[in-house]
Amino acid sequence: MIEPDLTDLVRAAALGDQAAWNTIVDRFEGLVWATARAHRLPQADAADVAQTTWLRLVEHLDRIRDPERLGGWLATTARNECLRHIRLHGRELPSDETETFEAEAQEPPEVALLSGERDSALWRGFARLSDRCQALLRLLVSPAEPSYEEIGAALDMPVGAIGPTRLRCLEKLRAIVDLDPAFQGGVA
Amino acid sequence: MSEPPDPNAELLNELRSVLERVDPPPAEIAEFARAALGWRRLDGELAELLADSALETQATALARSGGTGSRWLTFRSEGLAIDLQIEADGAVRNLLGQLAPPPASAAIEVQAGDGTVIATADADSLGRFRITLETGDRIRLRVLRPDPPGPPIETSWFSV
Repeated sequence: MIEPDLTDLVRAAALGDQAAWNTIVDRFEGLVWATARAHRLPQADAADVAQTTWLRLVEHLDRIRDPERLGGWLATTARNECLRHIRLHGRELPSDETETFEAEAQEPPEVALLSGERDSALWRGFARLSDRCQALLRLLVSPAEPSYEEIGAALDMPVGAIGPTRLRCLEKLRAIVDLDPAFQGGVA
Repeated sequence: MSEPPDPNAELLNELRSVLERVDPPPAEIAEFARAALGWRRLDGELAELLADSALETQATALARSGGTGSRWLTFRSEGLAIDLQIEADGAVRNLLGQLAPPPASAAIEVQAGDGTVIATADADSLGRFRITLETGDRIRLRVLRPDPPGPPIETSWFSV
């Protein structure tokens, strides 16, 4: 997704233009957040990683080589900060065993935020997907509407694998929720 | 010819709507990010974080640390390299630093996330310095070099 004015925005922000900087933050905050959460970091840790990622960009504003690909740079940086955080604090990496389901998924706590049965069923089904599928779907539906290149950078996934993985993950999700009467008959 | 409709588009849209409600980006992060522009370097030079044993494979990190389990970081600016060994002892962090090439004299400041200086040290004639911190939070080092004179050098932010 080419944003023709990113070069200007980065240049202006490097000179201290707050409005230009705010535009950059608004455009990419969803991508940075989705990347952190896709690595299954809890809220507070994800917030820490996101903050560090933004500090890295401030440090590097005057040396971003290809501003048009700033989204990819941020996604890569956020991913690295996630890995660093996980190594230092011992959280497990998203597993590559994409086919394993947790046998008895616990009710995700966020279900309380959803009023409709259908939405709750969908969220329960999502929580039963593999880490890899959850990570990819989180990015795909992120309000930042990241490009495949940005998603690939966020997850260290070849761009060519994103389409097929997306399809497989959605089919799994559908298979799970189709068995849930709350999804079929529920009100969203 | 138009693309056939994506049978999964509706499911994806429902999921988007659910995630927007259960896990929106916290407003505090955007606020933090907006404010962070005010903390960019004006007088200093960046010493970029180039290597962190926390990001290496366990075997490589073990070999580098000599099995001590300590963490190694390397920062580099145009004219100065800063190597840092960090040992965690409960809540205490012992930092052993090495400036290369060693400046004739240099002072090191540790800045906390809010910009306050929480520790200082002087490098010895071989460029070594030692700092003890009682925090595991995000910090950066600022190297002030009265001799030879030069702009202060600031490392990237990092968590200890």
